[in-house]
Amino acid sequence: MRRAVITGLGFISSIGNSLAEVERSLRNLRHGFRTVEFLGNPRIPVRVLGAIRDFDTDSPNWRDWRFPDQYQFEPEALRSLSPHGLYALCACEQALEDARLRADELADGGTGLFCASAGSPFLLHHYLLQMEEAQGERGSPMGMVSSIAGTLNFNLATHYHIRGAVCGFVSACASSSHALGYAIDEIRMGRQKRILVVGAEETNAEAVLPFASMRALSVNPDPDSASRPFDRRRDGFVATGGAAVMVVEDAEAALDRGAPAYAELVGWGQAGDGHNVALSHPEGAGLAEAMRRALRDASTPPGEIDYVNAHATSTQMGDRSEAIALKAVFGSAGAGPAISSTKALTGHALSMAGVLEAAFCAVAIRDGFVPGCANLVEADPVCDGLRLPRKTEEARPRAVINNSSGFGGSNVCHVLKPFSA
Amino acid sequence: MPQAQPVPSPSADPSRNLKEKLSRLPADARRNYQIFIETGDEQALAGLVFEALRYCLPKNSAAGGNVPWPDDARLIEDLGFDSLATIETVFFFEDLFQISVLNEEIANVKTVGDLRRFVRGKLEAGKA
Repeated sequence: MRRAVITGLGFISSIGNSLAEVERSLRNLRHGFRTVEFLGNPRIPVRVLGAIRDFDTDSPNWRDWRFPDQYQFEPEALRSLSPHGLYALCACEQALEDARLRADELADGGTGLFCASAGSPFLLHHYLLQMEEAQGERGSPMGMVSSIAGTLNFNLATHYHIRGAVCGFVSACASSSHALGYAIDEIRMGRQKRILVVGAEETNAEAVLPFASMRALSVNPDPDSASRPFDRRRDGFVATGGAAVMVVEDAEAALDRGAPAYAELVGWGQAGDGHNVALSHPEGAGLAEAMRRALRDASTPPGEIDYVNAHATSTQMGDRSEAIALKAVFGSAGAGPAISSTKALTGHALSMAGVLEAAFCAVAIRDGFVPGCANLVEADPVCDGLRLPRKTEEARPRAVINNSSGFGGSNVCHVLKPFSA
Repeated sequence: MPQAQPVPSPSADPSRNLKEKLSRLPADARRNYQIFIETGDEQALAGLVFEALRYCLPKNSAAGGNVPWPDDARLIEDLGFDSLATIETVFFFEDLFQISVLNEEIANVKTVGDLRRFVRGKLEAGKA
């Protein structure tokens, strides 16, 4: 079987819009939260957001957008994008430069593109309003391709002339984890030489507030403590967005072109809860099984895992369920892997969380550290026996597992290790 | 605590699209729009069509965008529009004048002059 390695990363995120910034934020546990007022309505109790800096995408018209000068795109690339499509395009540019790939090398048929996003409820809303105002008689020709789920695939595959496998993944907050898992398979089976794995989301009211309707968002107004996975006083997640891009590449192909690897993706696994449309299984049954399957696929015993990047979003039920699943897999002896949820720093990036956090794991492996549990003051007693370091640990993990869970009890885990040829 | 940042949302105000569209065009276009609406002046419409085409013009167009193109300049072959950009331009006028354009009508818009005559024809048909 062929081997899959990570050769490039790109980030537009609440904790930084470059690899260097993200690495510093992770290591120093510096969060990316801001106080916001959604829809100009001070009565909305959700006040904290993992906001994206240096981008102004408040307008539905791309001509009004402002973004850093380092990114130069033609109108043809921008006209059918949503705000998160712009973030994704910028993160792709970073990842390609990081992987030492030229855009024209992507059109060889050996390069694929797997994407995940919820689409753009913001633009969809805008275009549907426009259609309703016109009583269905007219609408923008860019409305569909810029706003529906799949908009990332449509636009990025066109922009980079991708002629390999192109696909979108929709499993809510496990979406980009599925994209990454199937990218690993495509590489291991020799079907593709490399895959760009892309996750992106928006942080506007249309993307975020529907989660408030489910009572899933924190109403803690303090940016320094609103997102506190595994803490006894957690009260919901803080939303974020942006884009994360990972270049997953056949190890031999990467070696042949002299591209250094952050880490190897040694296995993945998935399992459903079969339990509830939105809530996690109370005992974390599906997530525990997904971890076991990933470990089996990676031929890695639980004792070899030094770090778990938990899905834990800071909701009461979800974190509890994951803590139970972690104890089931790693035992409760207290000598298990370091566990942290980097959502304490970024917020919950929804469908892009999986690839974002897998990218964090890759940075942690390359740079030899394990991010600690920011904002964790008093651990929930359900976490007794789990190792939740408050501070960043300076040691290269031998193996890492990255957890994700989505609506409907869709659980996906990846195992990463340092790469050695 | 840091100052709250507004997170806006699209509005349901029906005149918003019109205001937005015109606000993104140069002052000349806004003037031409006003003259055309009030008098039906052909030159004003030509100026408005020119600005609308410039608004949707592909960046790599070889046509340049500083001098009005002749009436027989072809949108695709001469100005470098693709079919999406052509439809986007037609939609610009649909939205601006609150008119509806059929697929077969779009197929007949091939040149700058076609577009101008088409817009006038649609508006006159709407008044009839």
